[in-house]
Amino acid sequence: MSKETGSSRKEIGGAMGEMFRIAMERPITKQYPFGPPEFAERFRGKLDVDPVKCTGCGVCEVVCPATVIRMVSTGKRKVGTREIETKRPIFDLYTCISCGQCVDDCRFGALELTHEFELATVDKNSLIMDKALKSVR
Amino acid sequence: MSDKEDPQPEGRKEASAGLIQYSPENLVPFGPVHPALKEPEYFKLILEGEKIIEVIPRIGYVHRGIERAAQERTWIKNIYLFERICGICSFAHSLAYVQAVEGILQFEVPRRARYIRVLVAELERIHSHMLWLGLVGYWTGFDTLFMWIWKDREHVLDLVEAITGNRIHKSYSTISGVRRDLPENIADPVKKEMAYIQQRAKYYKDLVSSEETLISRTKGVGRIDADLAKKLCPVGPLLRCTGIARDVRIEDPYAAYDELIPEIKTSTEGDIASLLALRIDEVNESCRLVLEAIEKIPSGPVKLTAPRSVPKGESMFHVEAPRGELFYYVRSPGGIAPERVKIRTPTMANILTATAMLKGHTLADVPVVLTGMDPCFGCMDRVSVFEVDKQKEWSVLGEELRQYGIKYYKERRAG
Repeated sequence: MSKETGSSRKEIGGAMGEMFRIAMERPITKQYPFGPPEFAERFRGKLDVDPVKCTGCGVCEVVCPATVIRMVSTGKRKVGTREIETKRPIFDLYTCISCGQCVDDCRFGALELTHEFELATVDKNSLIMDKALKSVR
Repeated sequence: MSDKEDPQPEGRKEASAGLIQYSPENLVPFGPVHPALKEPEYFKLILEGEKIIEVIPRIGYVHRGIERAAQERTWIKNIYLFERICGICSFAHSLAYVQAVEGILQFEVPRRARYIRVLVAELERIHSHMLWLGLVGYWTGFDTLFMWIWKDREHVLDLVEAITGNRIHKSYSTISGVRRDLPENIADPVKKEMAYIQQRAKYYKDLVSSEETLISRTKGVGRIDADLAKKLCPVGPLLRCTGIARDVRIEDPYAAYDELIPEIKTSTEGDIASLLALRIDEVNESCRLVLEAIEKIPSGPVKLTAPRSVPKGESMFHVEAPRGELFYYVRSPGGIAPERVKIRTPTMANILTATAMLKGHTLADVPVVLTGMDPCFGCMDRVSVFEVDKQKEWSVLGEELRQYGIKYYKERRAG
């Protein structure tokens, strides 16, 4: 090992040069939560639903791989002579993996993935989203 | 664990593992469980003094039943399930699965989607290799290298996030193409970052071939030759570092690899030092492929409308994941869910080679050699060492073992 030491001392000098170069740079880490977070435009965060656009068709429930979405009955409405049960989704966002499959499959554009990512909570019930339920037309 | 001969005390039972006879005080259990692993490993290390004479792997500790779970889910839901087998090569898993399903459906995937698949797969290879390089730096006590490389890896992950929407679990594949088109004006950032990564890769190549810390810990460590490799059938860089040029991307081109032809990098030494150089070469080659893909990418649709149900049939597919060949077998009963999915991951193929690499080395080399095969790492977070003579059992965390390795080599260098 000793005979290699002489030649490698130079090379360690090379690494030192890199170290000095990097020491002169600005730090690239940013202190959280000071300053705005940086996202790609496509970043997939918390799911959000537009209660006005949602028709309760239930496709999102079928395609969801994480069983986030469950459809609940909100009453009945008359279509012509028939009575049809109206349904709306409840989102258990604590199991959501933000894959966006429901957003892809919603024909009415009612769902979107926001950039919100701070979902840590001590009460998982706070992540149950029943927005669509409260504003049934 | 002293070097002197320890005669067998009377009345002590001899344990046996296959043909090897060993006494219990020579056994160092290494492993097994860590939740972060897709394939947790437990290694029985049988020592003679400081030297490892036999390694017996035992796998299957965190068997999550993913193959069974896949039978309960629809074809689309399974994409997100298989992505979660492994975080680092999540795109390779989903790519192998969707291409197997496309094989049953006999779909012709749009050409633009095939190019995008190559683009993302190569970005994933770059970030996986850089992660590995950083970890070798970490385990050899060269933490600065670890920090530098992981800092540079962020540049690649930012690109991945811009294209797919997430850094690790990309959720980007779908049956019949990719889920979204490339974002507008992505070509410029891709070219800029790839030029940066290539420049850094050149620097790291010089560094790993000249830095004494790395050379003393990796040169000649974990050496396997081509004959042994042919017997044990490793895949990926572990095979290519012995000089055998095998790569699924060349031998059975998928996605757009028939048009974007990668160059297979090999090395002949077969030790960890050559694996370091080889993986840096592969990072360089992947950068070239990404640039070529972004130059040549055709226009057109990125996906077709895939049916919800798949006709009866079966299909096999293999892709070159960052760690090596990843194999999927899918059988459809004709319906909305698969009847059987079989997965063979690269670590499974490489594990016997890793045990062969460990033989003849010391306990201090274990982290570096096991890192060399690029396993899913957490298995090294917990080691318990039994010393029967001292009537003492101590559990060593990965960090302690790392410190032990660094101290061992420092002392050896000093005197």
